[in-house]
Amino acid sequence: MGRYRFILWRPLQLVPVLLGVSLISFLLVHSIPGDPVRVLLGTRATASVIEATRAQYGLDQPLALQYLYFLKNLAAGEFGKSIIFKVGIPKLVVGRIVPTLFLLGYAILLSVVIAIGLAVLAALYRGRLPDQLVRVYSTAGLGLPAFWLGIVLIILFSIELGLFPVSGYGETPLEHLHHLFLPSLTIALALSPVLIRNLRASLLVEMEADYVKAARSRGIAEARIFRRHVFRNSLIPTITLLGVNIGWLIGGTVVVEQVFSVPGLGSLMVSSIFARDYLVVQVVTLAFALAVILTNFIVDIVTVALDPRIKL
Amino acid sequence: MTFDKPRRLLPALLVAAALVFAAAQAWAGGVLKIAREQDSTTFDPIYTILAPDIWVFNQFYSTLVRANADATGIEPDLAETWDISPDGTVYTFHLREAKFSDGTPVLASDVVFSLLRARDDEKSVLRSMFSPIDKAEAPDDRTVVLRLKGPSAPLMSTLAMFAASILPEHAVKAEGEAFGEKPVGSGAFVLKEWKRGDSIILARNPLYWEKGLPKLDGIEWIYVPNDNTRMLKLKAGEVDAATFVPWNQIKELQADKNIQVQLDKSTRMDHILVNHAHKPLDNKLVRQALNMAIDQKAIVDVVTQGFGTPANSFFPLDGMDYNPANPNYPYDPEKAKKILEEQGVKDLTLSFALVAGDTAHDQIGVLVKDQLAKIGVTVNLNKMEGGQQWDALVNGDYDIGVMWWVNDVFDPDEKAQFCVSGDPENRSYYTNYKNPVVSDLVNKAAVEQNPEKRKQMYYEIQRIAKDDVHWIDLYYSPFRNASRSNVKGFVQNPLGRYMLETADIVN
Repeated sequence: MGRYRFILWRPLQLVPVLLGVSLISFLLVHSIPGDPVRVLLGTRATASVIEATRAQYGLDQPLALQYLYFLKNLAAGEFGKSIIFKVGIPKLVVGRIVPTLFLLGYAILLSVVIAIGLAVLAALYRGRLPDQLVRVYSTAGLGLPAFWLGIVLIILFSIELGLFPVSGYGETPLEHLHHLFLPSLTIALALSPVLIRNLRASLLVEMEADYVKAARSRGIAEARIFRRHVFRNSLIPTITLLGVNIGWLIGGTVVVEQVFSVPGLGSLMVSSIFARDYLVVQVVTLAFALAVILTNFIVDIVTVALDPRIKL
Repeated sequence: MTFDKPRRLLPALLVAAALVFAAAQAWAGGVLKIAREQDSTTFDPIYTILAPDIWVFNQFYSTLVRANADATGIEPDLAETWDISPDGTVYTFHLREAKFSDGTPVLASDVVFSLLRARDDEKSVLRSMFSPIDKAEAPDDRTVVLRLKGPSAPLMSTLAMFAASILPEHAVKAEGEAFGEKPVGSGAFVLKEWKRGDSIILARNPLYWEKGLPKLDGIEWIYVPNDNTRMLKLKAGEVDAATFVPWNQIKELQADKNIQVQLDKSTRMDHILVNHAHKPLDNKLVRQALNMAIDQKAIVDVVTQGFGTPANSFFPLDGMDYNPANPNYPYDPEKAKKILEEQGVKDLTLSFALVAGDTAHDQIGVLVKDQLAKIGVTVNLNKMEGGQQWDALVNGDYDIGVMWWVNDVFDPDEKAQFCVSGDPENRSYYTNYKNPVVSDLVNKAAVEQNPEKRKQMYYEIQRIAKDDVHWIDLYYSPFRNASRSNVKGFVQNPLGRYMLETADIVN
């Protein structure tokens, strides 16, 4: 019963959270100095043209009123219009969601593959050279700035080796895989150290656990113990950690999309902030917030599915 | 890199991906792929003055007349010939037979509609430039008559600018504001697809009036905001050309035999605005002292790595009526110091409005602070976000500030009006500079019909403005683009227009 209540309740909790996010993002974006109309019209537009344009987008109204209009329109399913691009926001956003989701999924996949591979390696060779190398990486990797790492990967894999495109997204799913490999790897190289440290530690704990010793004493093969017991039980905290990091991951895509010119939500966010395209920033922020909340929700459900002992 | 790369896990994926996609990178024929630093916002020529918009829609609109390749004069575009009445107030244009890309003919009524829209639409950004036009008439389908309120020397130059693009009346009326997304023009190319935030694909316009042009099958503008990534894309051969080469990468790219760097003549000029409303900057001698204390050569060498030229006038090096002999201030900190002493200026502190994170502004800020310290002037670097800096300038909340300018039209009237005329709306580019002699000359030059007399007026304006130090000139710099060595004609004219109808890719 508790579980069903949880699944019903959580979506309802979304409403106040999203309201809060919308208010904060509204206040933040409006408190940045600068003015979308100026960006749009440039330095030589006359005051009268600036006024007319401002009035057209309701920017001449008091702030509180602008926020209420925004909420009212959202409630009516209207997301408003980009000041800079002069088109409806759904039109601007819809095409951008797919590359970002693709990038996120790809980056998570690579992170998990790298993290599991290296953590298992480190745990099995505890204290020996492979373990030490992995530990160096999992410490050094934490401080790698994504924009720098991206450029290094481009120089190495695109310019020197010619294996992957420098930037872009491609037309077909296979091309997406090819184009998004380096950006995903950039994110994965920055994210996997956290996962490795966590997974390695749990693997080591589990390997010494009593039930493992018991299994060993019963003569069960070491590989089987590792696969069936140690590995599976170690995975739960790592998955939780991955879920917690989804907000960080989204932040990572914003930077990485810029470096690799991926036409996703992250690059739209950056250009909209620079242009003070208020509505676009607000709507994209809400979309990101929604994504983070939903992912945490899903992670909770997955954790329960993996370990029925956990209560919600 | 100090960490162990996950080689063991990836080789299979690497090899497989490389094989599958080797074919996808095949040569794309006659389509010129250009990586550029910004995306477009609209293709409606009267609602924008953003360069990234203009550079693209320049390719699919025609104008009545156009600037020639070095932007020193006018050549025919949609108008084959024209007559100007002796008093300079009636312009009659005779149109060639041309078609819009939707197949409809370009009519005189379309010209009238487009020019009056630029003048009258309340959101038309540069409508004041079209205000000399009193009436526009179309006596027949191929004749346009413009009646002016009085003679206007810059009119032809204005008619050659992007805002004067000729649009089909029927399409604009049918689409309304959506026309900016679904443009129809009579230029060399047509819009095929606009993937916002990614790319803009243009195709050859088969109905273009100029025989044998364009040479390219199409153009693809690809949005690559990161400077390094853009140059790397060019090096890897993924694009044929790239815009805005960072100054510090020019030499490296020049050394690559597959790449050519184009440093094209431009009307770009960088300068330091001086707020005349703040004491003691209202004192001409103090401004002169500041100017003499600034080492232009050092600044241009650091910022442009020597690819720029110290500026001796507020008129651009490659623009009309620029005076190459305009007297400049020599770098002379000793004299500057003496002038300040004579003027009783002690412990002067200036607030320098700069854009944070802008490499050129950072460099100029440090150098100017250092140079002015030598004459006992303290400079506080006030680094702000771009929009905030702009607000500070407009509100007069600054002592000195870095700015730049690129001409929209080749005629000098626009720049003179905006920068030195003392017009109350923009107060000489927000410097509050006002000299009645200059204001008078600017107004007279705007209506002077004799080119030689007009030139002398502009020479005089340049001289007085320099003497008054209306602002501090820094440097001229070329437009900087790079392309693969098989690309011909990827050039910008001094107004920034990419002349792509004649560009070509040779194999």
